[in-house]
Amino acid sequence: MKTRDTVLIALFAALIVVLSLMPPIPLPAIPVPVTLQTLGTMLAGAMLGPLRGGLACLLYLLLAAIGLPVLPGGRGGLGVFFGPTGGFLAGMALGACVTGWLARRAALGARNAGLAVAGYVAACVVGGIVVVYAVGIPWLAVVTQMEWSKAALAVAAFVPGDLVKAVVAAWVAWRVERVWPVLRESP
Amino acid sequence: MMIEPLYINRASPLHRLPAALKLALLVAAGAGLVAVHDARWLGLAAALAALLVWSTGVGAAALWRQLRGLLWVLAAIGVFTVAFQGWQAAPAVLLRIAALVGLALAVTLSTRSSDLIAVCERALRPLQRLGLLDAGKVALALALALRFVPEIWRHYQEIREAQAARGLARHPLALIVPLVVRTLKRAEQVAQAIDARS
Repeated sequence: MKTRDTVLIALFAALIVVLSLMPPIPLPAIPVPVTLQTLGTMLAGAMLGPLRGGLACLLYLLLAAIGLPVLPGGRGGLGVFFGPTGGFLAGMALGACVTGWLARRAALGARNAGLAVAGYVAACVVGGIVVVYAVGIPWLAVVTQMEWSKAALAVAAFVPGDLVKAVVAAWVAWRVERVWPVLRESP
Repeated sequence: MMIEPLYINRASPLHRLPAALKLALLVAAGAGLVAVHDARWLGLAAALAALLVWSTGVGAAALWRQLRGLLWVLAAIGVFTVAFQGWQAAPAVLLRIAALVGLALAVTLSTRSSDLIAVCERALRPLQRLGLLDAGKVALALALALRFVPEIWRHYQEIREAQAARGLARHPLALIVPLVVRTLKRAEQVAQAIDARS
């Protein structure tokens, strides 16, 4: 891992912090204003690839864990990790990795712009939503002693907002990669 | 905008305990409380957690900021638990969460970030010996991330003002692409500067 990779990981972690602390955006027909935290983690994977993207996310989580208020709303510390939504945080790091892996395959190899964007969208949806919820829902179910299906129902309201974020992240990743390619290089 | 740690500088009994011990006790409490189902014991644990949080000297505003999000989550969980498992089940579930989050918060408020990093470093040393990890690179990444949050936040403010001047203030896409590009360019500059010096 070269210096450049370490710096990319660090600055992207800082970018995730900035996105997390931006004011939540109200979206029409969605009950909760969406934070840009998961947008940041999807972008980390989609732009930096599986290894660097995953590490950027982990660095972000480390900053939160050591007691810095880098989670949305200025939250931080170990409280969130030990609470009902801790699994969603852990899932974001794994999700960034999956997003990166898929983005490299689906988006970089695409023959035209439409397929490339579709590839990025798929990468962001699978990594940023499916993986995140796959870790977050069981964790929530264990902490609250609910069945998995009930836990899934409890967080279903957040999925539409996350889908919008996945599309935005995909579009941003595609736009940026065209002017400042980062994904197509290793690691 | 500087990121201020949540640590509260005080000399409470909890502050004096070593970080590694507090973390170990927290993990043990986590494992233990999951096995407890009696709401009375869980209530006791939650009361103990509240006492520990109070002992750290945290201010009301800071405490509210940390707990505000959790209260909404607890309300939703309470509703779901009552709906699917009945009134009897709710107190135990809610008190257990309150106890765990409270204990974790007490650890965060009473432990310096640098001490927690030191514990991480010791824990990751085996990986370092296996050659999977470079402690120097991790320390560099951590320092860089902290250093650049204020700068990237400033970039965000500048881009937002420039967009507002052009009547695009509400469009998040218009903000994010320039912010990401600027961040990547900065990363390139910083990497070159570091390599030039070494």
